[in-house]
Amino acid sequence: MSKYRICVIGGWCGNRLVMVAEHLDELLQKAGFPCQVKSHSVWENFNQPPTSNLILQLLPAFTEAETGCPIINVRPFLIDIDHPQTMEKIFTQINHDYSTVIQL
Amino acid sequence: MQRYIYLDYCATTPVHPDVRAAMLKTLDDDFGNPSSMHSFGKTAAQIIAGARAEVALGLGCSPEEIIFTSGATESDNLALLGTMRQRQPGKAHFITTSIEHHAILHTARQLQSEGYEITILPVDQRGLLNPADVRNAIRPDTMLISVMLVNNEVGSIQPVQEIGEIARENGVLFHTDAVQAVGLLDVNVQTQNIDLLSLSAHKIYGPKGVGALFVRKGVRLAPLGFGGSQENSMRPGTENVPGIAGLGAAMHLTNQHKTGERERLARLRSKLISGLHERIPALIVNGPSNADAHVLSLSFPNADGEMMLIRLNGAGIAVSMGSACTSKDIEPSHVLTAMHMPLNQIDGTLRISFGYPTTEAEIDVLLEILPDVWHRAKNN
Repeated sequence: MSKYRICVIGGWCGNRLVMVAEHLDELLQKAGFPCQVKSHSVWENFNQPPTSNLILQLLPAFTEAETGCPIINVRPFLIDIDHPQTMEKIFTQINHDYSTVIQL
Repeated sequence: MQRYIYLDYCATTPVHPDVRAAMLKTLDDDFGNPSSMHSFGKTAAQIIAGARAEVALGLGCSPEEIIFTSGATESDNLALLGTMRQRQPGKAHFITTSIEHHAILHTARQLQSEGYEITILPVDQRGLLNPADVRNAIRPDTMLISVMLVNNEVGSIQPVQEIGEIARENGVLFHTDAVQAVGLLDVNVQTQNIDLLSLSAHKIYGPKGVGALFVRKGVRLAPLGFGGSQENSMRPGTENVPGIAGLGAAMHLTNQHKTGERERLARLRSKLISGLHERIPALIVNGPSNADAHVLSLSFPNADGEMMLIRLNGAGIAVSMGSACTSKDIEPSHVLTAMHMPLNQIDGTLRISFGYPTTEAEIDVLLEILPDVWHRAKNN
């Protein structure tokens, strides 16, 4: 199993949060990036999210200083789950991180 | 110890101790069925009569013109369906506004599905209806107009007296959903030309599950249920005596305190607005300048309202927001949308609502916390 961990953070819209996490998981598997994708609702738990290599936020919950990892704003996924510019940001970040992290 | 500040009185209010005492008496001692002929029944019937008189006093009508219901949603349903179904589908027209509660808008949709014709009028950017639009929308077959008195999201007070006059001049019935009004405003169905009025107990320090509908004498309604002669056969079934007793006690409280509370809450509202403007100059206050004293809709620039709500909740402060989540999407408020508010402004909108228990100290805490919450909930 990959050691590269992604956490999708959302709020009240639990269904949307899970949909985004599952959709990303599927896309990343297909693209050859086997990651662990988890979801974390700040309504249910406003503590720090699970330790991750990348955090995708549907709402501005945490800062990079708090999480210690890169954060990407994925709020556009609330309207379009395949929002191209947001997808590009995610893949660019993963491409950048993946080779180093996977070899840890 | 965790501090809690409740500022969501438009959603619901706490039950006042006097209301609780009145209700408990009907549970412990006065438990009779009001339809029974013995003394237990008579006592329960007297409690209902007392509550009916208190509600009537608050509205300026006769007790016989009050029907107790399970709440404002049922009152709205009974008012709309009950009057419109007196006429044939296709031969009756109903007028309402785009900022009504869903109890009105969804009932209007039901009427439409039954073949009745519906006109939904727009509002301006302050959430106000132009009475001229009502006049222009009236047709020969218009049966009923429904316009809320105070909007529950932005506090706009609609010109109901003028709309009632227009309705009367044209021989059209006029209904108002006064749920957010009866706790603070002076409501009088005679001077405001109102034929039907809905109210709810839990918005005025009463219990949930009980409300009332004022029906002017001579207005005919088709009942929604059958099987008993209670409430003039308009609302059959054994009465909710504890709830009705609670509504009566709550109306008694508001009849006594609304004038003083209206002025006090208006001062607190002004203090919060001016204090926030000093700290967040780009803050937008939604609604008209003369909005109702207990409702305050604020748009925080470039902010995520949900994140603000979560952070405020974490700090022990309860408010509500301008968008709601559905299974597939974030649904912006239909009221703010009808006011032509851009989506990014709706996203950063919070509703803060005040009640009789609200104190100046609570406003001070909010003023201290909100700017930081806003900073931390800004969208990147």
